[in-house]
Amino acid sequence: MNILLCCAAGMSTSLLVTKMEKSAREQGLEAKIWAVSGDAVRNHIDQADVLLVGPQVRYMLPQLKKLGEEKGIPVDVINSVHYGTCNGSEVLKFAKQLVTK
Amino acid sequence: MSNLNNILENKIMPVAGRIAGQRHLQALRDGLILTMPLIIVGSLFLILGFLPIPGYEDFMARTFGEAWLTKLLYPVGATFDIMALIAAFGIAYRLAEKYKVDALSAGAISVAAFLLATPYHVSFLPEGATNPVLVGGAIPSALMGSKGLFVAMIIAMISTEIYRFFIQKNIIIKMPDGVPPAVSKSFIALIPGFVVIAFIWILRLIVEQTSFESLHNIVGEILGKPLGVLGGSLIGSLVAVFLIQLLWSCGLHGASIVGGVMGPIWLASMDANRIAFQGGQTDLPNIFTQQFFDIFIYIGGSGATLALVVAMLLRSRSQQMKQLGRLAIGPGIFNINEPITFGMPIVMNPLLILPFILTPLATVIITYLAMKTGLVVKPSGIAVPWTMPPIIGGYLAAGNKISGAVLQIVNFVVAFAIYYPFFRIWDKQKFAEEKGETKATQMGSNGIKA
Repeated sequence: MNILLCCAAGMSTSLLVTKMEKSAREQGLEAKIWAVSGDAVRNHIDQADVLLVGPQVRYMLPQLKKLGEEKGIPVDVINSVHYGTCNGSEVLKFAKQLVTK
Repeated sequence: MSNLNNILENKIMPVAGRIAGQRHLQALRDGLILTMPLIIVGSLFLILGFLPIPGYEDFMARTFGEAWLTKLLYPVGATFDIMALIAAFGIAYRLAEKYKVDALSAGAISVAAFLLATPYHVSFLPEGATNPVLVGGAIPSALMGSKGLFVAMIIAMISTEIYRFFIQKNIIIKMPDGVPPAVSKSFIALIPGFVVIAFIWILRLIVEQTSFESLHNIVGEILGKPLGVLGGSLIGSLVAVFLIQLLWSCGLHGASIVGGVMGPIWLASMDANRIAFQGGQTDLPNIFTQQFFDIFIYIGGSGATLALVVAMLLRSRSQQMKQLGRLAIGPGIFNINEPITFGMPIVMNPLLILPFILTPLATVIITYLAMKTGLVVKPSGIAVPWTMPPIIGGYLAAGNKISGAVLQIVNFVVAFAIYYPFFRIWDKQKFAEEKGETKATQMGSNGIKA
């Protein structure tokens, strides 16, 4: 599963990436997880199965949702508490739910 | 208090979303980012040129000859000094991308249009003469840098708007099917490119008949001066910081949204300081530059939350706060604070929004006064990235001066003093929750009751 995360500069979401990768490894899940800045999403979305948006850039959601629809992948905002506490397993679960829905 | 949340969520959110999503502002922000790596590389050379080590200058002069500084600063001329040229390309590129038209062509046309708006002569004072003469056949490097930034921004927008209008209306030269796409692409840009160039050309011919003489002078008068006043005043800066904090309080990236508008102004004032600093002046023109905010105000991220993280590490009674402190200190040192804003949380939490807004406003005033009175030197124009850890950041931003680091420590202490009482209340509440005494304080979807 390929999970793309985005925020303003791709920095704070990269914190979450490490936690999610760890959680995926523990579950034995094969996953590529990476974080980019909002304006770079366009160049990365083709490789992604799901796009998760940091809550601080949720104003970009309408725009990114449209992009997601074009590519046929789900797009949603990460729960802000899970985001703030870097809860890798919850966010991973959320990503899996979005993909299988 | 849920009233406040209501206002934040229903009134401010949509407006913020619209500003942040506005195509041209987005292109402006994303396009200007293209200049950043160059400017930071240029800054490294600036730092090397002005190391405050006793005997450094003599040593360099002995080793590399008298002209060592000029030679060392060659890269500065090719990084800082072409800021506008790069911006003309970057902004047009990003805007074209948003319109889904060929970005590379749009960028190239914009660069040509920008150069067309720039008179190719420089004023030169020959030895012994009293009046400077105009020398033709030279691209004025000053206008390629921050001085030409606003012109570059406007031209990039205008030229790309014209470009995409023609493409979208399909007013282009079409090639037959067998022609390779790369070839037909170059023909597509012909008509819109011609219109852009002709438009700027006519504009320039008209302006040359007026007392302004060049487009750069007009833009400087009408746009540069008022924006400079807005960005250069204490009131303007307090308003900008207040807005950034307010947006973050709703959980929106305030620095990125407000920066879309203020970024170019702060960038231009940063570069004006850099030019003065490089020229050896000790009194620099601007206080409010990008580094004023990134380095001296937002220590630990927007809201100056590093002090709050330290308070958590040292004084938490609640397990949750203690853990959050441990999680947040690493990113906090590099001025990333989402674990705090979302994890504590500060977002939508009236109790903590108060110090979150007050702290940076207080440190803006302190920093302003310290620089105004000359206690601390003004930001040197060295482009220290916002992720630079404190103390080192202040030292570098001040142009290798200890006073910059000291000011950061003062601001840190002030931030600590403002946050501390609020932190204690919150910690106490969390501690009580953990002991299971006040389960009732848990609330619905927002989760937090102050």
